[in-house]
Amino acid sequence: MFYIHQSSCISPQQTFHDVDLNKLHEPADRKLLAIEPRYDGIPPGILRRMGKAVRMGVGAAMPLLQNNPTSDGIIVATVNGGKEDCVKFMNQIIDYNEGLLTPINFVQSTPNAVAAQIGLLTKNHGYNITHSQLGLAFEYAMIDAGMMINENPLSSFLLGAVDDISLFNYNIEEKSGCHKMETISNKNLYTTNSPGHIAGEAASMFLVNGNETGAIVKVQAVETLHTTDESIMKEKLFGFIKKYLPAGEKMDVLLTGENGDNRLLKYYSCCESLMDNDVTIARFKHMCGEYPTATSMGLWLCCDILQKQTIPEHMIKKAAVKTGYKNVLIYNNYNSIQHSFILVSIT
Amino acid sequence: MESTQFKTQLKKQIVEFLNLLSVNPEDIKDDEPLFGEGLGLDSIDSIELIVLLNREYGIVIEDPKEGRKILVDINTMADYIEKNRTK
Repeated sequence: MFYIHQSSCISPQQTFHDVDLNKLHEPADRKLLAIEPRYDGIPPGILRRMGKAVRMGVGAAMPLLQNNPTSDGIIVATVNGGKEDCVKFMNQIIDYNEGLLTPINFVQSTPNAVAAQIGLLTKNHGYNITHSQLGLAFEYAMIDAGMMINENPLSSFLLGAVDDISLFNYNIEEKSGCHKMETISNKNLYTTNSPGHIAGEAASMFLVNGNETGAIVKVQAVETLHTTDESIMKEKLFGFIKKYLPAGEKMDVLLTGENGDNRLLKYYSCCESLMDNDVTIARFKHMCGEYPTATSMGLWLCCDILQKQTIPEHMIKKAAVKTGYKNVLIYNNYNSIQHSFILVSIT
Repeated sequence: MESTQFKTQLKKQIVEFLNLLSVNPEDIKDDEPLFGEGLGLDSIDSIELIVLLNREYGIVIEDPKEGRKILVDINTMADYIEKNRTK
C-alpha cells in the first residue's frame, strides 16, 4: 500500500518529545488526557483560537510537514474533532436568541477544521480531506492515502488522526454506558472484567509515500468489516492474513485494541485464536484510552516497536521468544460492530 | 463604578473573551493600540469585541467603520461603553 517515513504522536503518554513508553501515565478523573506540548511551531495568535483537537492535530502534524514542505496533501481522520466548538456555537444560538454570534467557534465547528488548519499553516494547497466514519475513520483515511499513492507513486501525504475528549462527547458516551462505572487505574484495565472502557484522546500523524528507501515500515494492507458476529470476523481475518502476509513469512506480533470492556472480549479472543504460539500478543488502549480513531495510536506504536525491536513490558499480554519483529497485525474493534485489520511490516 | 475600576474590568473581559493566553490584564496600557502593534489583535478579534460589547453592555454596532473608531484602545472603548451602554 504505502511506506511510513516519519511519525509523530501527542497522547496521554510521553510520545511527543523525548519518547518514553516504559513509564505509564495514569488517568485523571477517569479520563486518559493527552500530555500537550508547548506548541512552539504554532503562532500564539492562532493557537489561542484553536480547540483541543485542532491544537493537538496541528501540533503533531507541524514537525512532519516542516521537514517535508513538498507533501502533496493532507488526509486526516477525526470523529470528535470540532464537536466542542460546534456545541459552543449551537449553545450561543440559543443563549443569545439567534443574535450576534462569535465567528471562532463557528469556523472550527466541523471535523475538517483540523486538516484545514494544517493546510493553512503549512501553506499546503494540495489534496485536503477529512474522514469521519466513526470507528473506521482512520482506516478509511489509510485506504484513501493508499489509493492516492497507487495512482501517483511519486506523491507523498500527511496521514493522521486526532480525537479529543470534549465535555459533549464524554457526557453522551457516559450516558450510553460506554465508560467504566468504577474508577480504575489503566494498569488494571484488562483485569476488571466489567463493561466499559476508559475515555481517551490522542493525535498521531505520519508522513507516507510509495518510496521504500528510508522508510520506517510498510503498511501492507488495511481491511474493514461491519459485523457483530465473531465467526464472520474470524473467517475474514483468516482470509486477510492468508492473502497479505508475504509468502514464507510468519506473523510476529498481534497488537490489539482490547480496551477492558468485557463485552468485546469475544472478538479479541477469536483474533488471538488464529495466532500461532510463537506470536507475541500486545495491547495499547491502556496507554491512550478508547476513542474512535485509536488505531492511529496503535499504528504509531507499531512503528516504534518495529524501529526499536522492543515492546514495553506493560503492553505485553503474551510474550513469545523471538529474535526479531518483522510483521505486525493490528486488530481493532469499535463498539462491537466495526472491525479493522492492518498488516504492517518492517522494510 | 469608577473609571479605573471599569477599565480593569474591561481588560479582564477582553483577555477572557479573546483567550489571550499570554496576556496579563494588568499589563494592557489604557492608551495601547488594540490592533496591529500593541496588543496585536486582528480583524477576527474585532468581530469578537463587537459581540462582547453587545452581550455585556447591550451596545449594537451595525457599521464596521463605527467599530474601528471605538476599538482603538482601552480609553476609547471605555468612553464609548460608558456613554452608550444599555445594561
